[in-house]
Amino acid sequence: MEDLLFYLFAFVVIGSASVVVLSKNIMYSAFSLLFTFFGVAGLYVLLFADFVALTQIMVYIGGILVLIIFGVLLTTKITGVDIKSGTTGKVQLITASVVVVIIAISLILLFTNVEWVNQEFVQPNTTIDSIGFAFMTKYLLPFEIAAVLLLIALVGATLIARRK
Amino acid sequence: MFEQDIINKFVTNVGESIQLMQPEVALLITFVLALVFDLIFKKTRSIAGYVAILGFIVTGFLLCTADSANAGGFAQMVAIDPFSNFFKLIILLASLIVVVMSLFSKELYTESRTLGEYYSLIAGMTLAMFLLSSSNNLIMMYLSIEMMSLSSYVLAGYTKEIKRASEASLKYVIYGAISSGIMIYGISLIFGLTGTLNLYEINSFLANADINLWALLVPTLMIIAGIGYKISIVPFHFWTPDVYEGAPVTITALLSVASKAAGFAMLIRFIKVGFVDSMFGGDFWAVLHLDWQHIIALLSVLTMTLGNLVALWQTNVKRLLAYSSIAHAGYMLMGLTVMNDAGVAAVLIYFFVYLFMNLGAFFFVLLIANKTGSEDIEDYQGLGYKAPAISVCMVIFLVSLTGLPPTAGFIGKLYIFTALLQNPDFIWLAVVGVINSVISLAFYVKVFRNMYLRKVDEAKETFKFSIPSIVLMFALAIPTLLFGIYFSPIVNWAEQSVGIFLR
Amino acid sequence: MTETLWLLIEVGVKALFIISMILSAAAVLVYSERKVSAFIQNRIGPNRVGPVGVLQPFADVLKLFMKEDLVPRAADRRFHSLAPIISLGVAISVYSVIPFAHYVQIGERIIYMGIAPNVNVGYLFILALTSVGVYGVTLAGWSSNNKYSLLGGLRSSAQMISYELSMGLSIIGVFMLAGSFSLNDIVLQQEGLRWNIFLQPLGFIIFLVATFAETNRAPFDLPEAEPELVGGYNTEYSGMKFGMFFLAEYANMATASAIISLLYLGGWQLPFSYNLIGLEAGSVSLAIVQFLCFLLKILVLCFFFIWVRWTVPRFRYDQLMNLGWRKLLPLALLNIVLTGIAMMIWG
Repeated sequence: MEDLLFYLFAFVVIGSASVVVLSKNIMYSAFSLLFTFFGVAGLYVLLFADFVALTQIMVYIGGILVLIIFGVLLTTKITGVDIKSGTTGKVQLITASVVVVIIAISLILLFTNVEWVNQEFVQPNTTIDSIGFAFMTKYLLPFEIAAVLLLIALVGATLIARRK
Repeated sequence: MFEQDIINKFVTNVGESIQLMQPEVALLITFVLALVFDLIFKKTRSIAGYVAILGFIVTGFLLCTADSANAGGFAQMVAIDPFSNFFKLIILLASLIVVVMSLFSKELYTESRTLGEYYSLIAGMTLAMFLLSSSNNLIMMYLSIEMMSLSSYVLAGYTKEIKRASEASLKYVIYGAISSGIMIYGISLIFGLTGTLNLYEINSFLANADINLWALLVPTLMIIAGIGYKISIVPFHFWTPDVYEGAPVTITALLSVASKAAGFAMLIRFIKVGFVDSMFGGDFWAVLHLDWQHIIALLSVLTMTLGNLVALWQTNVKRLLAYSSIAHAGYMLMGLTVMNDAGVAAVLIYFFVYLFMNLGAFFFVLLIANKTGSEDIEDYQGLGYKAPAISVCMVIFLVSLTGLPPTAGFIGKLYIFTALLQNPDFIWLAVVGVINSVISLAFYVKVFRNMYLRKVDEAKETFKFSIPSIVLMFALAIPTLLFGIYFSPIVNWAEQSVGIFLR
Repeated sequence: MTETLWLLIEVGVKALFIISMILSAAAVLVYSERKVSAFIQNRIGPNRVGPVGVLQPFADVLKLFMKEDLVPRAADRRFHSLAPIISLGVAISVYSVIPFAHYVQIGERIIYMGIAPNVNVGYLFILALTSVGVYGVTLAGWSSNNKYSLLGGLRSSAQMISYELSMGLSIIGVFMLAGSFSLNDIVLQQEGLRWNIFLQPLGFIIFLVATFAETNRAPFDLPEAEPELVGGYNTEYSGMKFGMFFLAEYANMATASAIISLLYLGGWQLPFSYNLIGLEAGSVSLAIVQFLCFLLKILVLCFFFIWVRWTVPRFRYDQLMNLGWRKLLPLALLNIVLTGIAMMIWG
């Protein structure tokens, strides 16, 4: 059952992600990202990370993707966008393909041959408590730094958006 | 209660950690105060700049008076040690000088632009670089790199009505996003392989467990690619020329010195703490049976050769300096290759020297651009007579960047080559380095030739520069000369600062 | 296996019950909207179909079914049909975490009233789904290939995103008091008259205003502001697709009322101890009383929604954004701080 769900979600993620890349209509690309995010949220649920899954939906689908779709909505040319830019020639294509193939092969070898560290699995009752606890103790500094990072991002974003 | 105990224990740890991290706290306050003061005093455009200068001075004071601590803070998230303090001082000096430089910049002070965010983002970026140079945990490393990148993306496009700057900013964002994506993928693989993100724990895991080394190679290369992007090592350098050319000169200077320093600090710490067997008294690289040294040596050769060769064809001085800064990253990687105390000390010395000479060169570009509005090398003709005082300084910087005596640049290169020569395997690398220095002479001379040997007769009017700007210029030039002759204090200081905190 | 089977049957029955509930609630709401608005505007309202016009909503639905389903030629067919499904689907699926009463005990088996009322991320689930609801409107606006629709869709999604923030923040006070995101826990904590509306007055007001904006109801019904935008994002819709948007709007209103009553008005809790009227925990009769109590609260709130719509004039778009970002958001943050301080003082 769980395996079945995993493959279902994995299929959704990969399938919709390839639509994102391959579709000529950028609106379709943006929209199938919705399913990618949903699939990832589903994978989180299978890992008993319910809080992370819902946060994923709220942040990525409710925030980021809406902004992406806004951007797409307000562009004039939506269909038939050529992905290649002017300077992409044969040389770049071949080099890039070689690099990508090497990376892909090494990653596949990595995933199939390596013994990953497995931690003892305890099905958590609620994940929110433990996340909060970790944020306030061991990961306090990254947590606070993330706040500063967001402040910087906010300042930068207003600066770019401002007319003058 | 069990949780209560942990919390109590942690609260004491937080107290101690904040004691250790006073400079960072000061920077954080500077960042926020600069924003607030800018809101209150809207009329004075430079107010945030003054706040930043004041804050940097306070931070520097705290940094210098701090006990020579060697400890970890916040549950081993960061390490406060002589090594990080050295880099923090370099970063702080660079940021301070860049803020002062910005006060003279005509490019920034046009168009009734508000500059509060500019100065406060520099403060925020400095904070990020501080954290980067002492992060001990891959999460902290990633967060601080992101924080540094975000501020620099915005700063690079600060003059957004100039098309070139916006383009630079956009390119920077796109390359940056990809590289940080690759890096965090690598981090996740490392986590899967070792079950931890803490560099010490990674190290002890690797020392004890039998792990497939090729499996480790992929994620580590990914992380090195992420850091390498920040310090513009060659296969990841594509953004550098465009961004350096498009960004305001001050930001180019900041990126080429401070963010490179922070990236190198992280790279050294990542390799040394994570992979070099340090806790078990074994010899270097004992954890890795792979030939890491040659990977880094290869990167170094690629970086300096490409940087120097492409620089030969550049006509824009900013772009030329961009390629030259790529080449310098290559020289510093040579020091990393040997990865013993001598090598690290050489990198530290090089950075200290590089700080003055590179900032000085960019300051010259800025002052000339203020007068002529151009950064083209053709427009530098006859400058030696139009602006004699600062041109002399520029010559010093150029000589130093080439690495000729009696300037500080020579000392930097000298120590790197000495560190290399101690290891017979890497004599070839030293030879490549020397050849590269010779190549670099060609394009530095091109600038010099235009300044002194071309259209000299037409140079009738002279440029007038404000006293403070000339003072700053000399403040950068004098150390460049002085440390070329009297260098023992830096060398001693650098040798004392190689100590990385080990648990 | 029998356990799984039982579970499936239980969930299926609950789901059927909920869906029929929502549909009938929508019908009731449509009827009452028309009647109440007539009352407020001193008219009579529908009075032809059935006694006092009670069958009017069914006539409306029948009419929508019979109508031709038009899709503009320039429209993007796929998204054009998908959009109303998303809107309605989201409106209905929110109910899966809403508890209607506490529980019923049959033998050893404890049946909670609601599909998954105890899931510990309950409210986050609702927030996540509402954020998906934006897509129905946006896609409807874009796929119609009509500038009024597009503007309506853009406005609506901008409005929903902006108010989602203050909504999410205003509710944090409630979570702090309950110590949980589970809706049943939040309801259980409001026993007797310890309703959150008294403990969190500021949060309640912010949440209420934000809810109006989230459901695109007046005074924040800018997406379909007729004078400027013809019909808003659903201009190009007809037949049952329009019906689905229509249904979704009323279902959302019912959902919003249910959420407000759960979070601030004690949900299914009676205002007094159930021992007073001689009922036992876990009995069917108690569950029914609790359900009726919950329903009453929902109906009162729905009436309030309708009342506001026909009383308060529409906001201008800049006023709306101003209110959302510059008033409600800081107030919501203030609410968190105040709640924290109060909890420090009174434990």
